[in-house]
Order: sequence, then C-alpha cells, then structure tokens
Amino acid sequence: MSTAAGAQPAASPSRFAAWRTRDILVTAVIGVVFGVVFWVWNNVWAAFAFLQPSVLQDWVYGMWLVPAVLAPLIIRKPGAALFAEMVAASISALLGSQWGPDTLLSGFIQGMAAELVFAATGYRRWSIGVLGAAAVASAVGAWAHDWWLYYADVSVELQALRLVVMGLSAVGFAAFGSVALVRSLRKAGVLEGFAA
Amino acid sequence: MSAAMLVPDVGPAQRDSLLGRTNPLVKLGIALAWLIGLGLTLDVRPPLVLAIVALVSGLLAGSIRPRVLLWRLAPLGLAALGIALTNLLFSTHNPDPLAAELFRVGPLRVTAEAVAAAAGLGARIIAIVSVGGVFALTSDATRLIDSLVQLAHVSPRFAYGTLAAYQAVPRLADDLATLRGARRLRGLREWHPRLLVGMLVRAIRHAEQLSIAMDARGFGSGPRSTCRPVAWTPLDAAVGAIALVILVAALLLGR
Repeated sequence: MSTAAGAQPAASPSRFAAWRTRDILVTAVIGVVFGVVFWVWNNVWAAFAFLQPSVLQDWVYGMWLVPAVLAPLIIRKPGAALFAEMVAASISALLGSQWGPDTLLSGFIQGMAAELVFAATGYRRWSIGVLGAAAVASAVGAWAHDWWLYYADVSVELQALRLVVMGLSAVGFAAFGSVALVRSLRKAGVLEGFAA
Repeated sequence: MSAAMLVPDVGPAQRDSLLGRTNPLVKLGIALAWLIGLGLTLDVRPPLVLAIVALVSGLLAGSIRPRVLLWRLAPLGLAALGIALTNLLFSTHNPDPLAAELFRVGPLRVTAEAVAAAAGLGARIIAIVSVGGVFALTSDATRLIDSLVQLAHVSPRFAYGTLAAYQAVPRLADDLATLRGARRLRGLREWHPRLLVGMLVRAIRHAEQLSIAMDARGFGSGPRSTCRPVAWTPLDAAVGAIALVILVAALLLGR
C-alpha cells in the first residue's frame, strides 16, 4: 500500500474530544458483542415468524435495544447510545447481513431515541427510571420505523398492542438487563475507571 | 456458531468486480435511497423489480456465486413470509365492509385488498434483504471505514476505533466456544444468558489492552497521514446515477 497521500486534521476539539481511546474502544466492542448477539437473535425472532398475531414474537424485541442503554450506562458520555447501537447494527449490515442496510437506519433511530432521553438529563442521571425511559423511547422509535416499513397495512389496534409489548420488552431487556449486566461486569472487575 | 460464519465473505473475485470497485459509501447511499423509495409504495411491482435488479447485478456485476447469495438470503424468506402474514391477517382493509372478502381464518376476514398489500410488503422485504446481501457480499469493512474518514469526514478516532473493534468478531466466536466448553466441564447447561457476561468481560478486557496499545502508538494524538487513499471515481458516479434511474423507473411502474 502507498504511504502518506494526504494529512487528516486531528480530532476536532468538540464535546466528543472528552472521549478517551479507551471509551471509544470499549463502546465499540460492546456494539460488536451485541452485533453478534443480534445475529443469533435474528434467528430466535425468525423461529417465531409464523406465530400470529405478531406480538407473540415481539416480546424478544428488547434485545435489539440493549446497547443503546448498556453502553451509555457504562461510558456516561454524549453519543454512547447512538455509537454503540450503530456499531451493533453495522455488524448485522456488514458481516452478518440479516436485514441489510435497514439495520443501519433502525440502529440510528433506536440509538438516537435513547440518546435524546440521556441528553435531556444532561448525562447526569442514571436511575432505573431514566434507563427505562430511554429503553421505551428506543422502542417507540423502532415501533414507528417498523409500522412505516414492515407493518404498513396492519390495523391500528395491533400496532398499539405491538407498542405495549415492545415497550415492556425494552424495559425488561434493555433497562433491567443493562443494570444486571453492569452489576456482573463490575463484580468481574472490568469496569474500573468507568463511572458505572 | 463458527467463526467462519461471522467473518466477512468478500473474496478477491467480488472485490475486483465492478460492484466491488464501486465505493462502499455509494452502495450504502443507493441501498438507503432504495429503502426510502420502497417505503413509498405498497404496489408489488417496484420491489420485485428492485429485488431482481439487485440480485442480477450482484451475480453479474458483483461476481457473487449464486450458492453464496442463496445461502445468505434463505433465512430472510421466512421472515418476509411471517411479516406478510401479519399484514394479511390484521390488515386495515379486512374489517372494511366494502372490501371484497376472499376467505375467513377463524374470526378473521381476509380481503383481496389485504392480499395485495401483504404481497407488496413481502416483496418489499425481499427487495431490502436482496440489496443488503449484495452490499455485504461486495463491500469490505476496511474500505468502508477508510471512505467514511476520507470522503465523509467522520471522526477518524471513532471510525478506526470501530474498525479495531471489528477485528474482535472472530475472537468472540472462539471466546464463546471456550466459555461453553468451561460450562460443559462444570456440568452446566451450555447455553445460558450468563455466557453474555463472559463474552462482555473478555471483549472489554481486549478493548482496554487494545486502547493502551493504540494510545502508545499515538492514535488520534496528532495530524494523520493516509495509508490507503480513497477517492471518488467515474465508476462511483455512473453506478449511483444508474441506480437512481432504476429506482425512479421502478417507482413509476407502480403508479
């Protein structure tokens, strides 16, 4: 490969400059682990593909929203929810190829929705209530996206039922799941130097 | 789960093909434009046209082997059928007394309008996953990240940090095998949610070692030089323009 074809400016001094290399790598790797989990989970979801009404399979939905809550809970920096969810989605799009580029769009919506909730607290409050709100916001984003792209002809009653099931699944997997994971990770001693 | 299944499957033939030489950002842009276009119509024809164009160009212009493509897309057929079935059984059209009833499933009335919409949405999913499969099988992660940094001006620290994390994917499969083996030795069930904790512990330790190594080599601390230059080419413009024309033509067909 050729060398030095052009110089890139150094990372600009924005609020993201507060990210240490360690924060970037740990967030990205959480995204990667969940990208692999998503890949397994796509098959779990597909195994229930013919259960009707579809809410009988939507109880698994929350797993896809975990990185958007887990990563910010550990890193506690602006952008962690969006970054982790996008990395996880990119594994699906690039390596696992399940839903293709739509995972990137879904990941952006799901990550951004959670991000907005954390931003509203100024990235200062990490109670189970805030985590639950972020998980539900992420589920609402996913639900709206799915209504538009996949369930465009489905009746409003079933859409409402889907929202309830997805919201509960999000709180279970993403909010309570993240708290349980952080507790286990802290016990294992890998979170030293992080706020969580 | 084997490591081989998680490693990107872009062989030299695919990389050197016409689609392989097209910038991944262009292909991603096309995929997203088509995705939004597909979201604009419930007609069955536009998604079918786009799916066929994607698959044929993947085979001819992307040098993807038919078996590899089929293997990638097969599980998605199931998901497409499942979602189409939901739209069929719970369609907004079904309770409409003016809609033509075709048959009943228990208490559910299924109408001709619902069949049309379900077919359109099933075809939409097939189109989305076909485009996704062709993108994944002709696009290299490293080139995508290089393009994001050099052409889209994404923060190099985040972009190359992500690329470094991608390298952990094959390791994760090995970690999973080790953790399952350890559980088996202890007489425990091999599949358990606690496996996720073990995977995260190993992944985070790996990330921390990697970040120390990268910091020690001055990662993100000064001006960067570029090892693999990426530039827009006439091929990118041509592929992008053709894809847009195809999208517009397919959407007009649905009118």
